[in-house]
Amino acid sequence: MRRLGHTATGLLVVVYVGAVLAILQGFAGGGLPIHFGASVVAQVSGMAAGYGAAVMLILMSRAPWLERGVGAHRLSRWHASGAPLIILLTLMHASAALVAWAQARSIDLLAAADDVLSLPGLITALIGTVILVLIGVASLRVVRRRISYERWHLLHLFTYLAVGLGFAHQLAGPDLVGRTWLQIAWALLYCYAFALVLRWRVLQPAFQLWRHRLRVEDVRQESRDVMSVLMSGQHLDELRAEPGQFFRWRFLTRETWRSAHPFSLSAPPTCNGLRITIKAKGDGTRGLFDVPAGTLVFAEGPYGVLTRRRRRRPRVLLIAGGVGITPMRSLFEVIDLPGKDVTLVYRASREQDLVLKHEIDDIAERSGARVVYLVGPSSDAANDMSARALNRIVGDLSDHDVYLCASPRLASRVRDSLMDDGFPRHQLHEERFSF
Amino acid sequence: MSDAALDYRRRIPRIVRPSVTASSPLLIRWTLRIVTVLLFGVATAVGVNLGIGAPEISPTSVVHHDGVASP
Repeated sequence: MRRLGHTATGLLVVVYVGAVLAILQGFAGGGLPIHFGASVVAQVSGMAAGYGAAVMLILMSRAPWLERGVGAHRLSRWHASGAPLIILLTLMHASAALVAWAQARSIDLLAAADDVLSLPGLITALIGTVILVLIGVASLRVVRRRISYERWHLLHLFTYLAVGLGFAHQLAGPDLVGRTWLQIAWALLYCYAFALVLRWRVLQPAFQLWRHRLRVEDVRQESRDVMSVLMSGQHLDELRAEPGQFFRWRFLTRETWRSAHPFSLSAPPTCNGLRITIKAKGDGTRGLFDVPAGTLVFAEGPYGVLTRRRRRRPRVLLIAGGVGITPMRSLFEVIDLPGKDVTLVYRASREQDLVLKHEIDDIAERSGARVVYLVGPSSDAANDMSARALNRIVGDLSDHDVYLCASPRLASRVRDSLMDDGFPRHQLHEERFSF
Repeated sequence: MSDAALDYRRRIPRIVRPSVTASSPLLIRWTLRIVTVLLFGVATAVGVNLGIGAPEISPTSVVHHDGVASP
């Protein structure tokens, strides 16, 4: 993992302090002294789950200060590890609350469930919990593999509904009632979280659609399963997009408008044009091959920290695997160092998988930068991408900034090897799209 | 009008088709800032109202309902 920046560290501190306060309030909510039992478990897990749900909304709000300061892949990772915990806490809360109710009234659990569900706000909270559990199940690796990205994404959007449905119940929970300032703070936390989502996930892309009028200009086949989409628009310089960054693209056709896909720019952006290069990996991405010219494009971004601004060392090594070449291709064109000490290592299984090769060769010839193609099976010693092999290719690796974009498996192999070899973490820059 | 342009007009619903002339970036930047401030202003007002209007007795509290200590 790359060293945390100031924004990420500050955010983590705030989130953890908030979590501790929420948990303490859960303990104290039932009054003092604390009687440990099912009701305390229910209160603590409920407060932690409610707080966590709001934090998850904020993390995925796509607010620029978060995307730039923390990084999209790290936010996604935090979300992916935090969300299951919140679902578990919610289930723990529901079960413990039911037990506490049954114990307090000396009735069985079935009668307690009947009682509890007749209380105000509990049916909606139950519906919210069921939705969250369904989303959690759909996100399990074994299930996720069986459903398309589009269906999974659509289901994921119901999270907002689930969180909203649980809110009324939280505000009336025994931990907060009678403490008006706490209720105001809790309501503000949720209102701000939803405002952030509305501002950056709805209004901003809608504004960009209107302002830049981005639409598909041409779709160009690069190989059997790879294509480039050229888009034209207005005032694109105002986006301040940089080579190496990505957008989440939503193509507004009847078949493709439902889901947004993250794709990196495969060429440096211009005032009136952007280009992405896509590999068909499923029905969703394959469907993009048929997007006609003129289609409006709803673009969220730019995101990502894989830019030339990250460079600190005098030499640069760009490592690309397969279609991971796209951000590297655009970086390769713009990273201009004294002495042209830039090396691009491009790994692919077959010669025909070397996407945009002619462009890369052109840039290398023009700029004097170096390209190394590693083609063939990974078992071949000539295609070794360990730190030792990379050292052999570029000379002194420690004197380089390394930019990495490849499949999760290859990226992890390269990253682990570099870390094992003692390569400084802050000199490794990567963007991951596996989430 | 070219075939492509005609096709474009046919496929994109009228409501989605941008029709407003672009303003200057400065005006746009300030408009976005004002929209952001308004949005968070509304969020603050809604949040405070919800907090003030929230129940004073919890329907789910076993203590308040039965007058017995929590289990």
